[in-house]
Amino acid sequence: MDSRVITITSGKGGVGKTTTTANLGTALAMMGKKVAVVDSDIGLRNLDAVMGLENRIVYDLVDVVEGQCRLRQALIKDKRQSELYLLPAAQTRDKNAVNSVQMEQLCQQLRPEFDYILIDSPAGIEQGFRNAIVGADEIVIVANPEMASVRDADRIIGLVEAAGKPEPRLILNRLRPEMVRRGDMMDVADVLEVLGIDLLGIIPEDETIIVAINKGEPIVYDKRARAGKAFLNAAQRIMGEEVPLEDVEDAPTLMERLRRLMGFGPALTEKRVRS
Amino acid sequence: MGVFEFMLGRKKPSPGEVARERLKVVLAHDRIKVNPELLELIKMDLLKAISQRMEVDEQRVQVNMTREGGLDKILADMPVKRQKIAFEWDPPAYTPAANALKGNKLHVEVERMDEE
Repeated sequence: MDSRVITITSGKGGVGKTTTTANLGTALAMMGKKVAVVDSDIGLRNLDAVMGLENRIVYDLVDVVEGQCRLRQALIKDKRQSELYLLPAAQTRDKNAVNSVQMEQLCQQLRPEFDYILIDSPAGIEQGFRNAIVGADEIVIVANPEMASVRDADRIIGLVEAAGKPEPRLILNRLRPEMVRRGDMMDVADVLEVLGIDLLGIIPEDETIIVAINKGEPIVYDKRARAGKAFLNAAQRIMGEEVPLEDVEDAPTLMERLRRLMGFGPALTEKRVRS
Repeated sequence: MGVFEFMLGRKKPSPGEVARERLKVVLAHDRIKVNPELLELIKMDLLKAISQRMEVDEQRVQVNMTREGGLDKILADMPVKRQKIAFEWDPPAYTPAANALKGNKLHVEVERMDEE
């Protein structure tokens, strides 16, 4: 069975792990793959809400692990994708309700049924994080282009390596092209230079993501959303397809061009994404 | 690139660049888990080893962590005192006669050592 278990993690909270898991999972399912998304953030269940499945939960991950129900009973079928399933986290338990051995067994149980198993990791580097990566074949790190997030990502890279997992790949989330262009935000090359890992995708900051989460609909369904397109591209890269990296630069506005010409704006450096 | 940029002399690093440089320093320390005491011990060890062969300006010795070309490095900056050092040594046959032998000791200049 060549199913792949991929854990999405970050160290720092609030950088977009759950959104990334929901969208990569949905995108892979849209491309005809059988996908399970697993919320391993026990006690802080959220992946269900991002996917709009919060009303359908009967059993959860802890029930499965403790043998209260069968795996199939806990898996929730997605609203739109017939081959996409969610295994929700327990909300009334804490992260120590599950141990690493149980998580690894859970992964083994899921493998025969699915092409891709995406595990949404909790923030932090404690037991919950260790549980999330123990059964993984690959790790995807989500980071934002700011110091705290990149620093935590670097720590995670070290822990992933220490766990004997292959080198993780990076989703650089919430990049703000206009800030990069002004020189007010680290660009893709800066982050890659510091972390020294391969890039899986660049997701531009996009207000429509918040709207999509409010509605419980992954952004990948929104054909006009740049973030949705970027997630689709990242999913294709997971499948091994060569997709050129998205050009996150907006064309400079007329005023910016004028200011640069006069020497009052930031230097017009070539800060395009290097692929 | 702007026409007047040279007149303004604007060369301040942008906030993005500042973040990148600060991150590099923070990560170098995070990764290696060096604390100032450990660096001080390494400095004393280095001093002890080098002092057997050369005279080093102890006041100006600096040992720090840095990051270059994807590698974390220990950077030891040890100024050598510009004075002759003496140690016992059996001169090989090809030693230039210019090196005056005084008793059993051959005086070697520090600058000469650097060239090796």
